[in-house]
Amino acid sequence: MGRARVWGWAAALREGSTTPWEEWPDDASGEGPAFADELPGAQQLGLLRRLNLAADAAGRRLPPGTSDRVLTAGLTGRGRRDLPVLGDDRPGPFGPRPVDPDALPDGELLRVAAALIADDVAAAADEAVDERSLGERVRTVHRPWVRSFVVVGVQWRADSVRAGLAAEGRPQGGRRPTAYLLADDLGAVLADAWTARAFDQGGPTWPEFLRNSASFGHLPPRADLARMARSAAHKYGADRVTVVLDPTQLASELGVPRLQEPPRLGAHAVDLVRRVGEPLGLLVDHARRPGLLRATLGRRLDGKGGARLTVPPRHAVWLSTMAERTRHDLAAAGYPVLGDLDRLLPGDLPEEPVVPVDAEVLALALGLLLDPVSASQKEGA
Amino acid sequence: MADRILLHVGTPKTGTSYLQDVLFQNRPTLLRNGVLYPADRFDEHFLAALDLMRLRWGGLEREAVGAWDRLAQQVREHDGTAIISHEILATASRSQVQRALSSLGHEPGGGGTEVHLVISVRDLVRQIPAEWQENVKHRARFKFSRFLELIRDPERNHRVGAWFWGVQEIPDILDRWGATIPPERVHVVTVPRPGGPREVLWQRFSSVFGLDDLDLDLGTERSNPSLGVPESALLRRINQACTRDLPPVHYRPLVRELLAHQTLSRRTDSPRLRLPPSEYPWVAELTEQWIAELAERGYDVVGDLAELRGDEPDAETWADPDRPREREVNKAALDAIRALLVEAAERQAEAERLRAKLEDARRDLIRSRSPRLMRTMEWTVRRLEDSPRGRQALGVYRRARGRSSLSA
Repeated sequence: MGRARVWGWAAALREGSTTPWEEWPDDASGEGPAFADELPGAQQLGLLRRLNLAADAAGRRLPPGTSDRVLTAGLTGRGRRDLPVLGDDRPGPFGPRPVDPDALPDGELLRVAAALIADDVAAAADEAVDERSLGERVRTVHRPWVRSFVVVGVQWRADSVRAGLAAEGRPQGGRRPTAYLLADDLGAVLADAWTARAFDQGGPTWPEFLRNSASFGHLPPRADLARMARSAAHKYGADRVTVVLDPTQLASELGVPRLQEPPRLGAHAVDLVRRVGEPLGLLVDHARRPGLLRATLGRRLDGKGGARLTVPPRHAVWLSTMAERTRHDLAAAGYPVLGDLDRLLPGDLPEEPVVPVDAEVLALALGLLLDPVSASQKEGA
Repeated sequence: MADRILLHVGTPKTGTSYLQDVLFQNRPTLLRNGVLYPADRFDEHFLAALDLMRLRWGGLEREAVGAWDRLAQQVREHDGTAIISHEILATASRSQVQRALSSLGHEPGGGGTEVHLVISVRDLVRQIPAEWQENVKHRARFKFSRFLELIRDPERNHRVGAWFWGVQEIPDILDRWGATIPPERVHVVTVPRPGGPREVLWQRFSSVFGLDDLDLDLGTERSNPSLGVPESALLRRINQACTRDLPPVHYRPLVRELLAHQTLSRRTDSPRLRLPPSEYPWVAELTEQWIAELAERGYDVVGDLAELRGDEPDAETWADPDRPREREVNKAALDAIRALLVEAAERQAEAERLRAKLEDARRDLIRSRSPRLMRTMEWTVRRLEDSPRGRQALGVYRRARGRSSLSA
């Protein structure tokens, strides 16, 4: 009877039910026949109920096929496998313990959601085409008579600035260019570095990323501005590196109204990208992953996911030391500076840091399951 | 369509590396006898398993995109017997198992391709320390005692505990993989007790894979050797100190291969890593439950289920890897330093050789770009060097130039 009850609940969830497992009838009225070869795991069932709740709250239904996709989805990462449902009388004494699907932590549900969103993003890869017009393409061709420059810095921000400049008819490149190193408050640079990593390869959580860096005593390579400046000096010449701390001055120097900043992703949005990037790495070529995530999740989550990440106060001493060291190294090297080097120094860190929260990340994921990225791209095309 | 597929799904530390290398090295012989082991590289089935289970593995997963489907296609297109083998398949979920079997042409209700499931198993008394050591060889920094805590958590909340039981809980693995395969097609190969003849395990594999009549080259260098107590302790300390500096792409060849496999594993006189005697009672109790369950299911056992009963560790001789003898760790560390120095010297020599080669290539390139000027300069230098007055003039020129240059 236990298993029939789980099948009954699963069937109801497929039809949009939001009844918690604990309240599901434990008599014959709650039972149902098997509708698939395998009973879905607790994580899949738990996610489907949460998705139904989100759809209810928005006054709509799930996109066709979504419920079956959720029930048959796999789990990402190395955690627990599909868990049996508490009350199912079929599992033997071996394997993981049964659980109440509604009592699972949000992180477990996110493992299913991330796998599904990764599928959608991979599907969008097949639809992606170069949508640039001929005029746009012409604008991105470098003209030898205009000033040569390159933009370096944390990839997440530098990519956007380069793309914006190219769209304005100022593509980087040319002979003997000036290298503009984009710098900022070191806390923001670290957040950009973690964001870039989330788009590139997934990797550690924000607290792990900071803890690893702080415990080792130096900056991660992606946020090490002094090292980037040295690298640019080696490549382009020390007299051709300029540190940029005031974007408006750079915009003015390059003759554009303003620099294009990257999408403003909140802490929870970046964490969702990080989680999706992991299964996506097994669906598309790794070289395509960052661009694909930018084109899909980067666009969809722009302005969402709460406030921007901040560094927790417990890392304040480390952050301040690193910022002072970076400021000293850049000043000692004598690079010209657009703006004020003191801007590298972090201000007071908020007592309540902005860090990703699983519940908020899950809420974003549910939104992406209700409106899958591939479908929205088609509509927008 | 393959007539018969032998699907070996685990478990780790049961001689799988040796088996897979023998199969890989003997692919042509196997194929001549109608047996396909589809692999262009030795880790092909590992990549396929990563793809099937969507597992991240220190960047290796980048090479795994589409690997399972490619493997399954080769198997389906082969006319005869095919073998697939990788131990991490043990942890596949039911839906992943279903996808894997279906892609191989298996039909749950009978019909379809004849799939045989093979699982090699070893007693938990040896598997538990071996799994911790495997974690340490994959950058882990936690102590043995912490590992034991994690695997004893009944909720299996931590990824370490979830993974351990995913690849080691034999009845559960067979529940997942064998749910739609008749028990007579499920073959449980037991690893002999310690101290027995080494060839027995191969004989068991050979019989279950139907390789007895084939003339295979059994000499192989690939294996997954184990480390002793001081060596494991040293490796864990190396992980604590270095993993942040070493991305997986460098950790694998330098730490896992050079230090662990090629250097520290050769130190066989040190105390061996064993289960703490205090852990033996629960392990023994669980083992009895497994043996009873497996016997009841009626699988084809190659060997003896009684071999799953591990020997009780001796409290007198047990050595704690969390509190190793520092002298022994120091000796192991010296061996490690020596290996790294030799490797560094070899790499430096290789770098010098390549640098010289690059310089030659650069000169050739310059010469090819300005042949007439270069030829004239070389001709002039050669002529001048042929006579005393010429050499004198060349000396004056070089001194005037302010540096010694033989190339001018």
